[in-house]
Amino acid sequence: MADERPVAGPRARHRHEEDFPIEWERDHYVTRREFAKFLTLGSGLLAAANVLMAIVGRLWRPAAPVAARIGRSADVPPGGSMLFRYPTPEDPCIVLREGTGELRAYSQICTHLSCAVVHRPDRDELFCPCHRGSFSTTEGRPTAGPPTRRLPRIRLEERGGEIFAVGVEA
Amino acid sequence: METHRQGTTLFTGICVLIGLLVVIQLWLVAACLDALRAGETGVLAAAAAASLVILAVNAGLLLYIVAFDARLRHTQRPPRE
Repeated sequence: MADERPVAGPRARHRHEEDFPIEWERDHYVTRREFAKFLTLGSGLLAAANVLMAIVGRLWRPAAPVAARIGRSADVPPGGSMLFRYPTPEDPCIVLREGTGELRAYSQICTHLSCAVVHRPDRDELFCPCHRGSFSTTEGRPTAGPPTRRLPRIRLEERGGEIFAVGVEA
Repeated sequence: METHRQGTTLFTGICVLIGLLVVIQLWLVAACLDALRAGETGVLAAAAAASLVILAVNAGLLLYIVAFDARLRHTQRPPRE
C-alpha cells in the first residue's frame, strides 16, 4: 500500500505528489511563441480551405439540366405569375409575364436566407416577406433589403403555346 | 531589462498583426464560400492566392519571433565560468 501520509514541509503535500509532480500553473501557461504558432497553424488551415475551394470551383461542373414543360402560355397572363419546379422537384421557381408580354422566370429561393419570394405585380417586383428584400423582375437583381446576390434566372422557350424551361443561369 | 521590455512590446505587436491577418483570411473564406454557392468561380483563384500570401507573411513573422526570442535568450544567459 502506498504511503499516503502528508509530507512535512513548507507546502504539506502527499508523497505521491512528490513522486509525480505536476505544475498545473506552468502546464496551462501559454507562451507568446505557442500562441503565435497556434495562429499561424490556423492561418495555414484557412489558406488550405481557400485553395480547396478554388480547386472545387474549377473542377465542379453541374450537369446540364434537361428541358421540361412547365405549363401553357395562356396560364401566365400579362402581370401574372405561376409557380413551377425546375430542374428538380426540390427547386421552386416562379415565372411571370411582364406588361410587354415578355416571359421571365427565376428561382423562388431568396438569396438572403432562402425564403420563398412572391410576385407583386402592383410594384413590379419579387418580394421576400421574411426580411423585406425585393428583386427586380427584369434582371432578378436585389433592389432593396438584405439580399446581395441576384436570383438565378431560368431560361425559357415558348413553343406552340407551351412554356419550356431549358436551363439555369447562375 | 530595456531589451526585454522592447522585446515584449515587439512580440505583442507581432501577435496582434498575425491575429489581424488571420481575421482577414477568415473573411476571405466566408466570401469564397458565398461566391462558390452563387456559382461565381472567377474570384476563387485570386482569393486563394491572397490567402497563401497572407500565410507566407504569417509564417515569416512567426520565424522572426522564434529567431528573436532565441537571440534574446542567448544574450540574457549568464556567461559560463
